[in-house]
Amino acid sequence: MNATLRRFKQPALVAVIAIAGLWLVFNLIAFAFAEAPLATLARAWGGTWGTPYGIGQVLFKATPLIFTGYAFHIAQRAGLFNIGAEGQLAAASLCGGAFAAQLPASTPMPLALLSALLVGAIVGALVALPPAVMRARLGVHEVITAIMMNRIVDVLVPFTVATVLGASSLRTADVVSGATLPRLDKVFVSLSGSAASAAFPLAVALVVALYFWLGRSRPGREMQWIGKSAEACRAEGISVRNRLILAMLLSGAFAGLGMSATVLGYKGYFEVGLGSGAGFAGIAVALLGRGHPIGIVLAALFFGTLEQAGLAINARVPKEAMTVLEAVAIVLVSAAGRVSISNTEQPANSASNEGDSSKSEAQGGGPDGPEKGSTRQSPKTKPDTEFAEVTPS
Amino acid sequence: MGERGPVIECSDVTMRFARTLALDGASAVFSPGEIHAVVGENGAGKSTLLKLAAGSLAPTSGSVAVGGERLRPATPAEAARRRVLMVHQHFMLVGAFTALENLMLGNEPVQQGGVLNEARARREVTALAEKTGLTVPFDTVADALGVGDKQRLEILRVLYRGALAILLDEPTAVLTPLEADELYKVLRSLADEGRTVVIVTHRLDEVVRFADRVTVMRRGRTVLTRPLDRASNAASTEDLTRAIMGREPPPPFSPPDVESDAKMAIEIRALGFQDAAGVTRLRDITMSVRAGEIVGIAGVEGNGQRELVHAIAGLLPSCSGSIAVAGEPLPFDADEARAIAARRSVVRVVHEDRHTEGLLLDATVADNLVLGQLGTVSRDHEAEVVSRRVKSFGIVPADPSRLAGELSGGNQQKIVVARALDAFLSKGTQPGCAVVISQPTRGVDVGAAAAIHEAIGKAAAAGLGVLIVSADLAELRQLCHRLLVIRKGEIVAEFAPSASEETIGRAMLGAEAA
Repeated sequence: MNATLRRFKQPALVAVIAIAGLWLVFNLIAFAFAEAPLATLARAWGGTWGTPYGIGQVLFKATPLIFTGYAFHIAQRAGLFNIGAEGQLAAASLCGGAFAAQLPASTPMPLALLSALLVGAIVGALVALPPAVMRARLGVHEVITAIMMNRIVDVLVPFTVATVLGASSLRTADVVSGATLPRLDKVFVSLSGSAASAAFPLAVALVVALYFWLGRSRPGREMQWIGKSAEACRAEGISVRNRLILAMLLSGAFAGLGMSATVLGYKGYFEVGLGSGAGFAGIAVALLGRGHPIGIVLAALFFGTLEQAGLAINARVPKEAMTVLEAVAIVLVSAAGRVSISNTEQPANSASNEGDSSKSEAQGGGPDGPEKGSTRQSPKTKPDTEFAEVTPS
Repeated sequence: MGERGPVIECSDVTMRFARTLALDGASAVFSPGEIHAVVGENGAGKSTLLKLAAGSLAPTSGSVAVGGERLRPATPAEAARRRVLMVHQHFMLVGAFTALENLMLGNEPVQQGGVLNEARARREVTALAEKTGLTVPFDTVADALGVGDKQRLEILRVLYRGALAILLDEPTAVLTPLEADELYKVLRSLADEGRTVVIVTHRLDEVVRFADRVTVMRRGRTVLTRPLDRASNAASTEDLTRAIMGREPPPPFSPPDVESDAKMAIEIRALGFQDAAGVTRLRDITMSVRAGEIVGIAGVEGNGQRELVHAIAGLLPSCSGSIAVAGEPLPFDADEARAIAARRSVVRVVHEDRHTEGLLLDATVADNLVLGQLGTVSRDHEAEVVSRRVKSFGIVPADPSRLAGELSGGNQQKIVVARALDAFLSKGTQPGCAVVISQPTRGVDVGAAAAIHEAIGKAAAAGLGVLIVSADLAELRQLCHRLLVIRKGEIVAEFAPSASEETIGRAMLGAEAA
């Protein structure tokens, strides 16, 4: 019972600390610009959740973040750190957009849309392929290679748009009408004018689908097991190599699908810089979402809200104030939830000498307790009690 | 150095880590002028005792006195102030620094303006090295040094810091016998100068050859301390072996009979392996296990047992020779997953360290019970398989949704054994398949150990060939039909379980060479 209580207490505590800290910083920023905090907050509210248009804009801003946030999460489950969503998304946006523009204008909607999305996902995965293979085969750390891929894509995208596609305005041609994702205001008329598109429900649906796939399918479960202990998985005959590559490719594909929100659902074409920043923000979203799909969707909505709120208050308080709040939220949540995040990392087998030796030297002859921890992470962080003599009642 | 080392006195010390009692009222006196060896099984509390003496740990109760005065505060700095320094089991060197820089680290001679006086350090260290015979290439970076040089460097470092009492935690574990002998020569001269030398080791032959006094530890207690008489080597080794292994007789278990015409389960021919550093880990191992037979591999840890098990498991693609199970040669494949998948139907392996190679501590018991078997256990049957394994191996608590890390060591071990054995036991196997179990009951309480032994007996009765690797001689003698002794990667002897522990122990240690 206590353990259950503690399980809920911790996230609640994190939330309280984060909200209190955010409010404090928000006040300080408002004072700094000689604005009343409450009035500024009211303005921010009016620009976001206070009006249907604002809500639509929040959903629109949140959509790419759901994709990139969950993309990061997928890799993280397998013990990988995919910092390359930025490049994966940019390349996917360009290729998906260019592809959808090349389709015959008469292509029927399902075919055009699906093939455009597929191109986006494949290109995202392809950009993630070099880091994936180098990590799985050669042990090169994926953060280094993914950053390199980001830089490469960063240069290749404008180059390709300017030369190969020959567009002087640094944008691709418009995608065919069949490949555009409908705006949500077609269904919810009150959202009218906002850029929210069907990409949002698509993102949520894909997150839910992937969540179940990760938890139930053989590749999904094995991927997550590797994230817990690659060594044990190797010894039991799981192909660590292939699963790591799969996880990274899936992550890249999911990040690439973020183009649905920007290219297919909003602009209708790709231009250089479209959706930039979403890749990196996705990491923050995943950390804030604490490794749960609902958490990630909520975190993406939170970030979307701040972005949109920044625009709403921009006349009085610079919108960068909201960027500051984003950063504060990340710092507060990581600090307060440090224990829980370390949970998703590899087991602490690299223990330094002292922990290590207490482990190997600990011996039975007394303790009566089971190897039991009160919280999820305790079995790893506490000195080992494997020599306990008596099993629990 | 005219100064004599301090007397270090641990009286009735108890050390508790969370729920684990590492030391339980241990007492020992380390005196200057002699080499004092501390021996015992893994987990008996040897390193912990040493760390208390060095101030790295503070005892939960009891007291540690250095030079007649209580060590307070119990910190390494305070111990160092009293000239007590420890050489840790793992090297504590900065790899990118040269040997000289490593020596200076933390004890840098400084000239005016805070500039390092490397010339002075070199002078002092060279003199020290000449005096003690601990020569190390001073300008080589630590990473490029061999283990022998590194070990000498570590000792030189504590001497340079002015150690009068030197505590060494398994310094010879990584050394070749020749290097070890040289190390003892140095330790001998240090002791003769009046320093206090304490050494933890697993190698009994070293103890009887070089130490002046020995303390035996068992289960956190010091069970025996006595001076060593170098005249009667053999008697000492036997006594020590008995003192170290001495334990309650486990509940009776007798291996099921082997049919005289039983076919071969495991056949290993000329198995050899060299590690990446070119060290030969396995040499020309030829052995066999018949269906229904339980064969034990005895040996001091680190003599090739791990490599042998890995070779059978398919985790050692670069080994030479051949292994056949149930008449089929096992494939070696650089893709380990493929190699393991190919042998899964005929041989299953339980690795020695359940925490790193056996379990996902923060995954559920259910996941752990089918780890690596999603290809053979279908999703529809998974829950059924899990609950059968929990039930038939008596895993407590019988709740598959608990995290594996929350279970006791014994129940964790039941998980890995259940995972390996259940597929064979539940389906009824064709005779000649095999299981290899490394350290079946290490760190496992008596009840769980009995359950695991029973399962092993059932496996043999079902016609499986069983190979057991254990550091626990008593266990092997009780479980097995035959005992093979492995030393330095070679099978050096074969015994019937009725052979005395002393005889087998001597073959394990190679003490007859002394």
